[in-house]
Formats: sequence, structure tokens, C-alpha cells
Amino acid sequence: MSVLDKIYEKAKLNPQKVAFPEAANEKMMQAAFEAGKEGYIIPLLVGKAEDLRALVKERGYEESVFTFVDIEDEETTAKIIEAYVARPDTLLKEKALRRRMADPLYYAMAMQKAGEADVTFAGIDNTTGDVLLAGQMMIGLKPGISTISSIGLADIPGFEGSEESLLAVGDSAVCTNPNAEQLADIAISACETVQSLLGWEPRCAMVSYSTLGSGQGELIDKVTEAVRIAKEKRPDLNIDGEFQLDAAISPAVAQKKVKRESPVAGKANIVIWPDLNVGNVGVKLIQQFGHADVYGPMLQGFNSVVCDCSRGAPVSEIKGNVIISAVRAAGMKKV
Amino acid sequence: MDRKELEAKVIELVAMSYNKDAAELSTSTSFKDELKGASVQMVALVAEIENELDATITLQDAAGCETIGDLVDVVEEEM
Repeated sequence: MSVLDKIYEKAKLNPQKVAFPEAANEKMMQAAFEAGKEGYIIPLLVGKAEDLRALVKERGYEESVFTFVDIEDEETTAKIIEAYVARPDTLLKEKALRRRMADPLYYAMAMQKAGEADVTFAGIDNTTGDVLLAGQMMIGLKPGISTISSIGLADIPGFEGSEESLLAVGDSAVCTNPNAEQLADIAISACETVQSLLGWEPRCAMVSYSTLGSGQGELIDKVTEAVRIAKEKRPDLNIDGEFQLDAAISPAVAQKKVKRESPVAGKANIVIWPDLNVGNVGVKLIQQFGHADVYGPMLQGFNSVVCDCSRGAPVSEIKGNVIISAVRAAGMKKV
Repeated sequence: MDRKELEAKVIELVAMSYNKDAAELSTSTSFKDELKGASVQMVALVAEIENELDATITLQDAAGCETIGDLVDVVEEEM
């Protein structure tokens, strides 16, 4: 059973409410329908309900699979606003919120914050920047986390790591040039993401071109400082470094290069890149030379799950990411 | 609200979002060099401007401002 099959099975056990603010988009509606019809999620279509119903009919989908959330319905809107502004950790007041909620993306996230949805899934019509801004404004960052970031889950044929062929890697998509504190937060968020999605005991390696002082320079200093901050902030998590990639994931190399006890060296199941140059190149090396499937990017750092998909994504990829985000949301409720 | 009042209000909101003393800030204060905030603080500032001044500005516009005075210009245009 592939990792995706296992995640799909998990989703079915506890389907989450996923809000789709771009439901009119044909690919998005199809992904929402398939994931809902097959029992993985409860799809909430957010927009002008009359228009959405007409599209559902025109495209031949069963209406009963969907819950329609009409952004023009005053009673529903008032209830969401009341619940949203009552929360202590929200930024917008009623008037500003109401103005923002004319946009389905903000409406969906207000619902999520108000507890009416578990995930907001967007990114096919809105840009990544739009989704990140709305997420920061409406959902907010987790306490103590300074940046949004992402991880991907790589399934690498022939790789025999501590989670067999799987390795979580990040950030390869969002945070361009993190400082030491942000890098520490990316590692912490990554540990929480794999816990909620896969139930792994995280072993997170912060990688560099040096292993425990074998090299010197400011590029390494950032990583060692990030390791220090991460350990100080979350001593309960297994975060260690700085390691070269091979020392992080190969027991034989770790044995040679890491001359102290480490719960991570040689058996890391998460690799954190030092910046986006490395991250983006790194993930493409895994894909191109390692012939890996890489699922994600999964956004992390938000108070609850916000998902941004690629604008060019096919329906199968959107559906996979919808289901992954739902499982993360269910997992976060347990943590 | 005249320009001076708007400047004072924006300075107050910047101080709140960046956790600074308003007396230390002026329209020439630089976001990048002096406030050194993360994007999360800029998002909080944009939200405060929406709440308090009824002006919806984009994060991109706000992030493009070099000084508090530039931000006052952007807000003034939207009001």
C-alpha cells in the first residue's frame, strides 16, 4: 500500500469539512466532488450558492455530495462574524471583516476560524501570495511561530531510510531566505506537520555543507544558531544538526562523521534545507535523479490547515492535496 | 481627517503592530532599516488600518512602502 493510499484510508475514518472558495473552477469542483463522493471529506462550496448550484447541475454532479455556503446569506454571514470576532486571536473587527468576506477566500477562512470548516483549500484562481496573506490575516500564525513555510513528502524509489522510501523535506517552496529564528520555526513546524499527517516520531535534521563543525563560515553559523534556537524552544522534539545530507540520512555516514550521541543523525525522517535555493534545487534533484513523487507543498505555521495548490495542477493532484490537508486537520485536533 | 491627523493615527497603528513607542516614530521612519519587522507584523498593521481607518490596502502596497510617510500616502489614496 503506497503512502498516499494509507493517507486516503486515514481520511475516510474521519472525514473533515473542507471549504472550497474557488468552487466554480471546473477542476476544483471535480476534485471536491470526487473526494466528497468517495467519502474522504465533507466538501463545502463557498460562493454565490445559486451560481454554484447551477454549475453543479450543468456539470452533472450530484448536488447531495456538496454543502453550499452562500456568501450572500445574511443570517449565515452574521453567525460567522459573531463567532469570528468573539475569538481573542483574530485581527479584524466586524466592519473590516464583513468587507473582506465579500471575497469567498476570506469568507471560507472566516468560517474556518469560526469553527465551521476544518481546512480552506484554494490556489487555483488566487495566487499563492493571495492565499498566504488571507491565511495570515484570517487564520493567523501558531503562537511562537514567526513564518509560514512548507514541506513536501518525498516517496523515493530505492531509498532505504528510517521511514523506508519516505522522507519529508522543507522548505522548498515558501520562505525564501530564512534567518536563524525562522529556520528554527520551519523545523518545529515540520515536526508538527509529520506528526499530524503521518503519526511519525519526528527526527529532524538541519542540513548544511558541514557536519558538527567540520566546516566554518556564516552559512553554517545560521544553521547552528537555528538548531540552538529550535532545541531551546522545543526541547521535546528531536531536532539536531548541523549535518551534511548524507550524515543526516545514512547510518553508515553518521557513524563516521557524527562523534556524539544524536537521536537524529543517520536516521532523520525530516530534512530542513538552509534556504530556498537549496530547497528548490534539492527537491528537484530528488525528483529528477531519484524519480521520486513529492506530495505537497503543505503549508505550515498557520493556526489551522490552509492549503494552496498549484494553478497548473491536474484534478488528481488537487484531490490528493485536498485529502492530505484533511488528514492533517484531523491530526492537528489530536495533538 | 486632515493629513496631520492621519499621520498621527498611522504612526499610532505602526507603533501598536510593531510593539514600539509612538514617540520614537515619525513619517521618515524606515520599515526596513528601523522597524525590521516580519511579514506577520505588516499583516497585523494592514488589518489595524482596515479596522481603524476603513481603508482596505493590499499587503503588496504596504510592503512596498519604504517609510511610514509612504504608507500614509497609500492609506490617504484609499480613504
